[in-house]
Amino acid sequence: MLNEERVILMTKLASYEANEGKKNIAIGNYFRGDYIGWQVLKSIISATIAFVVVFAMYIFYDFEVFMMDIYKMDLLEFGKNVLILYAAVVGGYAVISYIVYAYRYNRAKKSLKLYYMNLKKLSNMYSNK
Amino acid sequence: MTTLLVAKQYLKQFYSKYEVYITPLLKFLLAFISMLLLNSKLGYMDGINKITVVLIAALMCSFMPMNFIVILAALFTLLHLYAFSLECAVVVGVAFLLMFLLYFRFSPKDTIVVILTPVCFLLKIPYVIPISMGLIGTPASVISVSCGVIAYYMIHYVNENITVLSGMADEETATRFKIIIDGILNNKEMIVTIVAFAVTLVLVYMIRRMSLDYAWTIAMVAGALVNIMVLLIGDLMFDTNVSILSAFFGTIVSFLLTMVLQFFVFHVDYSRTENVQFEDDEYYYYVKAVPKVTLAKPEKKVKQISVQKKNRSTH
Repeated sequence: MLNEERVILMTKLASYEANEGKKNIAIGNYFRGDYIGWQVLKSIISATIAFVVVFAMYIFYDFEVFMMDIYKMDLLEFGKNVLILYAAVVGGYAVISYIVYAYRYNRAKKSLKLYYMNLKKLSNMYSNK
Repeated sequence: MTTLLVAKQYLKQFYSKYEVYITPLLKFLLAFISMLLLNSKLGYMDGINKITVVLIAALMCSFMPMNFIVILAALFTLLHLYAFSLECAVVVGVAFLLMFLLYFRFSPKDTIVVILTPVCFLLKIPYVIPISMGLIGTPASVISVSCGVIAYYMIHYVNENITVLSGMADEETATRFKIIIDGILNNKEMIVTIVAFAVTLVLVYMIRRMSLDYAWTIAMVAGALVNIMVLLIGDLMFDTNVSILSAFFGTIVSFLLTMVLQFFVFHVDYSRTENVQFEDDEYYYYVKAVPKVTLAKPEKKVKQISVQKKNRSTH
């Protein structure tokens, strides 16, 4: 026989899975460290690409001046400064993404808790019938 | 007022019933309008400056995720600029790339603002954006709005300086680069607008979160006033030539528009009909869950206003 209460609960769960729960369930498959680590790694890669692009634009912007100065300036010092700037930019960006993804992970876990609780309730309904 | 509330209920019912068709239609309209505006402002590439191409692109957008519109609009802009001058396309392309790499990586929910902001600028109602985003967004929306403002001013810069830019065809590539980058980065009007929008957005957000009666309305009024004030101060400090009259009337129109949006869109729970499928050991279920919409009598609806205001103030 169809159990009305069960159908309603299942509908709610299915709707959660199809909509706002979709992302949360994907996040919930990871361990906390794995999820955040992976996301921060991706952030570091994209920040590196962004830095390279901006640096290339900066060189190209004053290309003639730069080419004239390149014989005069201390290349080691210049390289060091660039590296420090790179570390600061990428480090700052990594910290921001760590905060964002840690927050998202916790939020997803919280939302999934209710979902799992309802799943348990559903399985109890089946075993009690 | 009661008629309006009934209209609101009717809209809600209508949406929950036909959500399957309404959302794609809205996406289609947004994509269509933004592509048309883009073509009218920057129509340098003849291949995509056709109504058929725009129609096909907009139709594609109607069943793709919302962010697809943003990507397509960026692509259209770059193609037009490439047809005009390679340097422009590279500079704008780098700006877009940075936005995608650094901000849209977080896949924020309000990506669509990046396209809505230039569209509202072109429709002369840009001030709708900071006020409405303050009402429905978070302070993080400042970044999305700023990206939108930058995107608009880049297009605006190219559009305003066509003669200058096309006149320097015989200059060296490096010089052309320099002129374009200088032109975009030193645009004081853009910086003042970004600051004004950011201040407005954060202020509106802060006020509407307060537990006051009429917090939403107060937030909107305060936001509109602060927006004008910051624009004026920016004008005095940097001589940006912001037209005071158009800023003033633009803000008033935007304020009224936001009022309408607030009433019909922002504070209404547009729940929709759900079609879900699942199975257990015995059955396959194909469930259509239709939200209950109660079309109460007008007397009851007057009571609903006060209930809503309480909600607003606690938000």
